[in-house]
Order: sequence, then C-alpha cells, then structure tokens
Amino acid sequence: MTTDNSVLIKVAGLKKSFGELNVLKDINTEIKKGEVVVIIGPSGSGKSTFLRCLNRLEEPTDGVIEFDGVNIIDKKVNINKHREKMGMVFQQFNLFNNLTILKNITLAPVKLGLMKKNEAEEKAIELLKRVGLAEKADAYPSQLSGGQKQRVAIVRALAMNPEVMLFDEPTSALDPEMVGEVLEVMQELAKEGMTMVVVTHEMGFAKEVASRVMFMDEGYIMEEAQPEEFFSNPKTDRCKDFLSKVLL
Amino acid sequence: MRDFKISKKVLWILIAALSVSLIFSFAVPAFAAAAESVPQDAGIVDIVKEAFLEIKHDIYSVLIQNDNYKHITDGLGVTIEITIAALFIGLALGFIVAIIRSTHDKTGKFKLLDSICKLYLTVFRGTPVIVQLLIIYYLWLGKMGIHENIAAIIAFGVNSGAYVAEILRSGIMSIDNGQFEAGRSLGFNYFKTMIYIVLPQAFKNTLPTLANEFIVLLKETSVASFIAVKDMMKGANALVGFTYNMNVPYITVALIYLVMVLVLQKGVSILERRLRNSDH
Repeated sequence: MTTDNSVLIKVAGLKKSFGELNVLKDINTEIKKGEVVVIIGPSGSGKSTFLRCLNRLEEPTDGVIEFDGVNIIDKKVNINKHREKMGMVFQQFNLFNNLTILKNITLAPVKLGLMKKNEAEEKAIELLKRVGLAEKADAYPSQLSGGQKQRVAIVRALAMNPEVMLFDEPTSALDPEMVGEVLEVMQELAKEGMTMVVVTHEMGFAKEVASRVMFMDEGYIMEEAQPEEFFSNPKTDRCKDFLSKVLL
Repeated sequence: MRDFKISKKVLWILIAALSVSLIFSFAVPAFAAAAESVPQDAGIVDIVKEAFLEIKHDIYSVLIQNDNYKHITDGLGVTIEITIAALFIGLALGFIVAIIRSTHDKTGKFKLLDSICKLYLTVFRGTPVIVQLLIIYYLWLGKMGIHENIAAIIAFGVNSGAYVAEILRSGIMSIDNGQFEAGRSLGFNYFKTMIYIVLPQAFKNTLPTLANEFIVLLKETSVASFIAVKDMMKGANALVGFTYNMNVPYITVALIYLVMVLVLQKGVSILERRLRNSDH
C-alpha cells in the first residue's frame, strides 16, 4: 500500500440510464485507500447500480471512473484485469453450485494464472480458517446456511487479493440470526485496512464501521459525511426523512 | 458399479415384449403350418410339438445355418459405430451452436452467426432425417466418392447437433445470471465464464435429456440402410432377401434394439439419480 490518503477510485460525471429511465444522473466522488464507504438510500435510488458500475457489471452511459489512475470506462481498457483487483460480494451469494467450497475459492486465481493450484488452496484454507469455515472446504454450497455461504463468497473475493471490496446488500437475503456473522467478518476486514464500498440497510454497521456514509436518492449523491456527523446532523430534508423512517 | 442390476419392472417389460413378439411372429404362423402338416387325427400335443419344431427350424435355417447371424451382428457393429461417431459430432456442433445462440440472446453479439445457426436449426429440425440423409449422400457426399458410412455419420451427427444445440441452449439460459456475474466479477472474460462456470452446470442439468437424445439417435440410425450402409437393418433385410423369411430377421433386430434401448434407459435413470444426489 502506498500513502494512506491516496485516491483509489475517482468517479466523475457518472451517468447510467436503462432506456428512458435515468437511474444515475450525475455521480461525483472519490474513494481513498483504506476507506469504508457505506452507501444508503431508499430503494430505487440507484445505489446498487452505482456499485455495479464501479466494476462495469453495469455499463455506464457516460462519465469517468478512475481505478488506480486508469479510466476503466474506456472501451480500450481490459476490464477483466481490473476486475481481478475489485472483489465483489452479491446479495444472492452466487456461489458456483457445482463446485466444492475450496474449488469455488481457487477457481479464479488458478484459471486466471495468478497462483499455482497448491498455493491457491493454501491461501483458501487460511482464509476459510479466518472466517471459521475451514471444515467446510469439501462441502458443496447447497450444504451451507445463508450466512456461511456469504462468508465463503467474501473469502472467494478475498482470494484474488483485491484492492477494494464491493458489497451489494450482502445481508439482505439472510435470515436475521445470520446477519451478525457476516457483518463481523466485514468489520474484521475493515479493521485490517481493506478499502470497502458497501451498499446496505444495516444502519448499525454504517454507524460503527463506516469511515464515510453516502446517502443516495434519485440518482444523485445527496449527502456524504462521517457517520457521527451524518446520523446526528443530517442536512437535507430527504435524508432526514429517510433516517426518521429507518432509525425508529 | 453400484445398483447396476436390471430391475424387476424392466425384466417384466422384456419378457412381455418377447412373448408378444414370439406369439405374433413365430407361434401363429408356426401353429398354422403345424396344423396343416400333422394328420387329421393328431392331438393338441402333437400340434404344439410340431409348431415348436417349425420355430426351431426357422431360427436355425435363417440365423444359425451358414453363420447367417453374422449379417446382423456385423451390422450391429456398424450401427453402434455410426451412433457413437454421430453422437460426438452432434455434441461438438451442439455446443458451438448453443454457445453462439445463447451469447446472442444474452449480449446481442454475433448477429450473423446467430442467423446462420437459426437457419441450420430450422432446416434440420424441420425436415425428416431420412430426407436429409438421402440429400447429403446422393446429392453431395456420395458424388464426391465419400464412403456411405461416413456420409451417414455426418448426416446423423448434423441432425442430432440441431437437437443437442437447443437442449444445451435451454440449459445455459436456465443458469441464474448471478453465476455469470460472479464469474465476470472475478475477472473471467465472457468465454472463460462460459467454459468454467456456466457450461459445466448447464451440461450437468441437461445430461438426462442429452442421454435421451442419444437413445433417439441410436434408433434413428436404422434408416441408414437407405443409402446402402451395411448396418443392422441392412443385415436383416439381406437375410429376408435370401431366406424368404421375414419373421426371424425383423423380430431379432427389434429385440436387439429394444435391449440396447432398455439398457441405455436404465443408465439414464441411474445417472439422473446420481446427479440429484450430488445436488443436496
């Protein structure tokens, strides 16, 4: 890691529309190394779309996204190379159902030629130990609970040694009693200095772990601030209204 | 090999089919002949005895004498050869077409290739396989001096490929898009995602259907004799030709096909059960 304050992702004038529908209207922000940015907002505000634009799972309509100083919106850029450095965790886990947990984790590093097989397996086991799932290495995804699946999904992304981790509502599909185990793993990651962008409805997580909270609505970033400031002193009416609904 | 014993149900079907075919093709004419050849005052036991002798004689003279059965067993080898070779062509072609078509469905790329594939599917699924076989051999490959067995392999392979393609495409389209996105997010490009993540799952899910297509293919190859391929059917026809007996050759061939299909079906159901087990 270089200096702590260097910018990892810079977004300027990002727009995304699906046909007539303008989901992202004008997004401008910077994400620094080691920052944990939590994005909140009402449904339909474009927060998931924004996150998915960051690794071009959604193709932005317009704008610039600089990652490590390279504009990855540029069609000439090999996006696959950059995606290797951007781990993503999905709401629906999206583990590969036909592969064991170990294979799920080692598939990408091995097939993309980043690691040797035994090297990747060692790393996978070490990461699985950290999330308390080493004994599940030979199990299949269908044999795991939702919380376990999501922890494996996090490990799968980490196995690529990413520079940033993108979380797309990682706890929304979980039974309530399993939310904690996933948030714990994410908190650990944050402590270790991983740069994270998290779309979530978990306000507790935002308060405790975020270095910055970003409130999105109607395709814009309405407000961004440190969590204490954000939750105690929201500035816009939209944000006050939203917080009054989610923080009962 | 666990549980590879023929189940009771399959055994009963076999016995029933065997007895029905024996009664209709051997017993009825044999009894008729026997009734004529025995003296007027002969008892029922004599007629049965005589009938059995007739059947035994038919089978002996048509199949055993002069090693006649070799016409059928040699043909069986050709039938199996054509089926397996056509299967591989069909699979290869089916995979390619399925990938092109589903890529077009998902991303809108490959417009021209997709149109070509659609044309291929329309033509080969829209005309009888025998017509395709005759056209491919007599209008094209035969004129180039290519052996009829090769022509049959190509015709059945290309025909089967059209069906395999649609089976696989439905398999690919049924894989959740999240699997695809997960692959892409890890840095796999479109085709690597397809090959490492989507296709193995699609193939696994459609394996029973593909196996059924294989069974259909096996039976369909029986029309290869139309272009003078010396398959099992041709062997039976040859026997009919010089023994003047239709019963024994055709029934024998029917029973051989039936046994092969039943064995394959049993294999498919074992496969289905295993795949289900590994899912949970």
